[in-house]
Amino acid sequence: MYDDSEADTYIMLLLSDSNLPTGSFVASSGLESYVKHGFASSSSADVATVNFVRDSLGSYSQSAIPFVSDAHLAVVKFSEVMESDADKEMVAGEERYEAILETLTELDALYHVMTLNHVARRASMSQGVALLTLYSKGFSRPPSMSAFSSTESQDHETRMHKLLDLFKLRVRREETFGHLPVCWGILTAALGLTLERAQYLHLFLHARSLLSASVRLNDLGPYGAQQVLLHAVRPLVAAEATRCRQLRTELLRGVNEGSEDAAFGPANTWPLGEILAGRHDLQHSRIFNS
Amino acid sequence: MPTQTTLTSRLQAGGGCVAISVHGDRAVFSELSSTYPLKLLSPYIQDTTALVYLLTYGGGLVSGDELDLKVAIELGATLVLLSQGTTKVFKARPGRRLACVKPVTSSGLAPSSKDLSSTRQSLNFHIAAKGLLLLLPEPVTCFRGALYNQYQRFHIQDNGSVVILDWITSGRMSMGEDWAFSHYYSVNEIFHNGRRIAKDVMLLDTKDLNLKIPDRPLNDRLQPYSCYAMLILYGPQIQSVIAEITLKYNQLSVFKSKTPAPLIWSLSPIDPTNLGVVIRIGGRETEMVKEWLKDALSGLKRIVGLDVYRRAFP
Repeated sequence: MYDDSEADTYIMLLLSDSNLPTGSFVASSGLESYVKHGFASSSSADVATVNFVRDSLGSYSQSAIPFVSDAHLAVVKFSEVMESDADKEMVAGEERYEAILETLTELDALYHVMTLNHVARRASMSQGVALLTLYSKGFSRPPSMSAFSSTESQDHETRMHKLLDLFKLRVRREETFGHLPVCWGILTAALGLTLERAQYLHLFLHARSLLSASVRLNDLGPYGAQQVLLHAVRPLVAAEATRCRQLRTELLRGVNEGSEDAAFGPANTWPLGEILAGRHDLQHSRIFNS
Repeated sequence: MPTQTTLTSRLQAGGGCVAISVHGDRAVFSELSSTYPLKLLSPYIQDTTALVYLLTYGGGLVSGDELDLKVAIELGATLVLLSQGTTKVFKARPGRRLACVKPVTSSGLAPSSKDLSSTRQSLNFHIAAKGLLLLLPEPVTCFRGALYNQYQRFHIQDNGSVVILDWITSGRMSMGEDWAFSHYYSVNEIFHNGRRIAKDVMLLDTKDLNLKIPDRPLNDRLQPYSCYAMLILYGPQIQSVIAEITLKYNQLSVFKSKTPAPLIWSLSPIDPTNLGVVIRIGGRETEMVKEWLKDALSGLKRIVGLDVYRRAFP
């Protein structure tokens, strides 16, 4: 018996492993710069960290979740169309691959022009590409394990594998950027994780990597970081996930120029965080890449 | 590019049009018109450079006001667009003021009087080859409870150039306002030969998350600064200014500090061609940010002359 929610939970567990080589351990998303500039000095370390997580997560969720959602929805739709084509014994159209790749490339380009911060761009691109590599090297099914699944799910896997390989090729050829939220949407859709869980997990991982950074910066101890994660970050992640669930980019929403999109589209909500993240490279000494 | 017919088409309330071109070696306005509550003044033309002040009657915007300005800068012309005093945005109120002559909505019905009306400003710019736009207004000041939406789009052709300043203060200090408005939303979108090269969207409002989480007012998120500015520089005509600011930025070195500096700024290239940069500034006081801008942009003297520079930065 194939249980959807069991599969979903299992994928969640796999993806939340802090040992996955996603490059997040070298990213502090501006926390190192925030501390260095003296913004954490006015209150105790745990309060300062919670404040940072709250403001950083608030801005990140509003700007990145719409891209996670759109990439995820686009890949799910592609997968469904391909499946129904297969039922009707239609030839799997190369144009369908071309079309979905175009959509993903457009999303990626929009995220790039909306991320006007070279440090954040750099971190996002390196983590995005790491996810694509993780899929092809860590999540693909070796032939020796083909007996563990049905033919239909293997067809699905083959299509997803091809799609991610093609997208990765575009990144390697510098035809697209491979930003983290877009790649996360693609990866989670390919693995069959529901959109809601993909959004939620993305926010949790962002918050957790901030806490790990805080420990590496020696602001919080490992126990203190767990306390923050359990008590303060949990309601924050849940609230942000709820708030941003319906947010979409203009590409899939199809809004007209100049329409009131304040409540529905990606936006930056923390100008101070932007300045501090941008100043990361100016630090005389630093341990993180962002 | 907009055609002449769209530019000269009938203006709605709060609408405005500016079209400037070069005849011989002098800038001329082929269009300069506006309707209440928007007012455009041009006190100054020198050579290929024209100066326009963007004003509003009463010196501020009330809820329901919608300004819609279209600007075309033709081949080789320079336009300097300034405002007089900060753009004040008053508290949002249900309904509309009697004098507010906002057109009815497309459905033909006036908006419900129960809704809080936001204030909206929409500016569209077309900058032709060799054209230069300096958009250097005073900052926006949103009063307690204000709702403000601003959309600015820039369409640059070939070697056209822009200097775009978009900034906001925390409110009326004298009234004890410090980031006490309800909603501020600002979009700056830049296209070069039809390709989008930058889209900056800033949303400042108080998020209602849920009851389990303690409040974190906007004020907490933005302190200790009471003024934030974004400056975009793009195009070949202002490369020397970009080079000066970039040099200054690269010389900065950050050491561990106990307290936040009174003013900080960051600089990022827009794309690898280095044709443009985005600069963000935060300062404890608006005056500090103003002084910083005046100094950082002093290279504009060489480009538009000392007179124009002094009008922008008195």
